Amino acid sequence: MTLAVEASSLTKQFGQIKALDGVSFNINPGEIYGLIGPNGAGKTTTLRIICTLIKPTSGSINIFGQDATKQPEKTRQIISYLPEESGAYPNLTGWEYLEFMAKLQSTPETNIKAVIDEAAQICGLGDRLKDRAKTYSKGMKRRLLVARALMTRPKLAVLDEPASGLDVLHAYHIREIVKRYVKEHGVTVLLSSHNMLEVEYLCNRVALINKGKLVVEGEPKALKTRFNSENLEEVFAKVVGYA
Amino acid sequence: MLKGFTTILVKELKELMRDPKILVGMIVLPLIMFPVLGLVMGYAVQSAQEQAQKATLLVVDNDNGNWSTLFVRYVNNSMNAIILNQTTPQTAVAEGLLQHYNSTTLVEIPAGFSANLSRHSAGELNITGTINVYSVFSGAGSIFSGFGGAVVSSIATGFNRAVAPDVVSVYQSSIIKGQIQEGVDASVLSSLMLSQSIALPITIMIMLTYAMQIAATSVAMEKEEKTLETLLTVPVDRFAILMGKVSSTIIVAGVASITVLIGYNYMLGSITGGIAGNIGSSIDMVALGLVPSVWGYTLLGISLFFTLLSALALAVVMSAFSENVRGAQAMVGYIYPLIFLPAMALIYLDVTSMPLAVQAIFFAIPYSHPIIASKAVVTGDYLTVILGIVYVAAFTIVIMYAASRLFATEKILTAKFRFGKRGKAKEPSD
Ligand SMILES: Nc1ncnc2c1ncn2[C@@H]1O[C@H](COP(=O)(O)OP(=O)(O)OP(=O)(O)O)[C@@H](O)[C@H]1O
Ligand SMILES: [Mg+2]
Repeated sequence: MTLAVEASSLTKQFGQIKALDGVSFNINPGEIYGLIGPNGAGKTTTLRIICTLIKPTSGSINIFGQDATKQPEKTRQIISYLPEESGAYPNLTGWEYLEFMAKLQSTPETNIKAVIDEAAQICGLGDRLKDRAKTYSKGMKRRLLVARALMTRPKLAVLDEPASGLDVLHAYHIREIVKRYVKEHGVTVLLSSHNMLEVEYLCNRVALINKGKLVVEGEPKALKTRFNSENLEEVFAKVVGYA
Repeated sequence: MLKGFTTILVKELKELMRDPKILVGMIVLPLIMFPVLGLVMGYAVQSAQEQAQKATLLVVDNDNGNWSTLFVRYVNNSMNAIILNQTTPQTAVAEGLLQHYNSTTLVEIPAGFSANLSRHSAGELNITGTINVYSVFSGAGSIFSGFGGAVVSSIATGFNRAVAPDVVSVYQSSIIKGQIQEGVDASVLSSLMLSQSIALPITIMIMLTYAMQIAATSVAMEKEEKTLETLLTVPVDRFAILMGKVSSTIIVAGVASITVLIGYNYMLGSITGGIAGNIGSSIDMVALGLVPSVWGYTLLGISLFFTLLSALALAVVMSAFSENVRGAQAMVGYIYPLIFLPAMALIYLDVTSMPLAVQAIFFAIPYSHPIIASKAVVTGDYLTVILGIVYVAAFTIVIMYAASRLFATEKILTAKFRFGKRGKAKEPSD
């Protein structure tokens, strides 16, 4: 079976800064895979490489068997990326934003209306979708963007801190949707998060990145056992503390 | 068709039209600019008129009667008149007497002038005298030519007021390229030229700066609002993103420049009393070499288009190096002198009469070319225009290539240009 993501020895150099230093991991189709790690560890950099936004300095990255570095156009057809910091066009309404993005992500067979309706369901913004995005709160914008990332049912959804800025209920709602998408539509999810509860609840497997290196990887349960910890937060503290 | 181009173009236009700043700029800018320009031009016209009053006037007196002597004396009160005898305006022009006396206006008092005026004062009120005024009109440079004729007109009015209403009428003609054009009022021509040689450079200037501002904003907005990253991961051609932005800006700039032109023509109309309208039908302006031919207008349009495109592409490239809208706008601001300088200088100066080194500078600046072209198409110097278009097109291709390269790589996301303020981006180490 082809792997959803196959990252081998990724390194990324930004001038003097070595953001990634030989990161390798594999993600199986239908899996929810979590990246955790302290600020500046290299999570976003990893996700950006996978989403064809930046090229690795060395190493290779395959998405469903395609080399993302060499064939970025093809890769973009099967992925969907939610950047950690992102926004909507302030002068477009939420609905127009979804329509715009749906058209850009569509193939000739796509039913745009159905895609937008699905996004409206996910974000739960209701009538507020008719208002311009500049009138939205931070959390409302985030819900719109999460919906945008999932609405086309990509083969791989890459979500950089999907629930950041969301209230408890909406974060819960989003988690449910991510789970459902994986189960019902066979979407593979790669996400990064600072919320260990979220990671523990959602992810089949987790990788802990620190200072550009992948330090440990495994199922949340296995990691807890291995580090003799109550929860992932403790694992995190122990690994980063000792590393 | 590039995938996604139409979708992006529509979205860009929607955004632009909803941006209050753009609507304000399109309406408020002309409203503020044109009254100011009107004041300046009013002053320029006034001083040109004063100059014209000091100028020498050639008078061909073929009447040699009491009334003509009286009229010449009256004229001499306000202008310096030189009397020529035994000649016709045609001969005087052919002999180059105007150049000889450094004058631009020639007045003929035809035979029978005094007789007519005498009959008028004897009660035959429908009999009046006519004087013929011939003003030298030169298209390039002296946009205020024809004021001599206007001054003679106003002197005649003064004379009428002193003697009897409407006793002397003035028949205006022009001397264009050494040829007398009967019945063509030189001051009408100069208002037309005024609108051509000033309106066009200023419109081009505004359009270019405006378009650059919009283009820079549209790219920087994607960065500031953090929408760019998402846009770059969707399966559309990056070139379509670039072209969508450039095209929407061209459309808005086009609309803006029409607004500007309308405002400008309105202002000119209020200065010259809507003179341009009553002329076109009576004489062939193209044949006289005063306005461009259709071919000339086409070339001018092409020149403008490429210049606009090069400016837009440059603005897109520059704004890609800034992190927010303010930075992008400041960045394109560095280009403005290159737009203002040729526009302002070429209103008054002729590029071919400059020293070679200065000429080279003007030709090297892409933004000079539509302005140079606007003059060259009138004189029929199409080669200069075509070479200019080729140069600007080449320049545009280079910039567009750079822009598309920039959009194709991660530099569009990571490129940052800071003015010596290093270390600003350094994250606090934890
Ligand atoms: N465009 C860039 N130019 C220079 N350095 C960069 C750039 N992007 C990231 N870096 C550096 O790369 C390192 C990794 O950054 P990255 O954004 O991947 O961290 P992260 O794990 O996502 O952190 P956070 O939890 O804060 O989001 C950091 O040291 C950062 O300063
Ligand atoms: Mg990050």
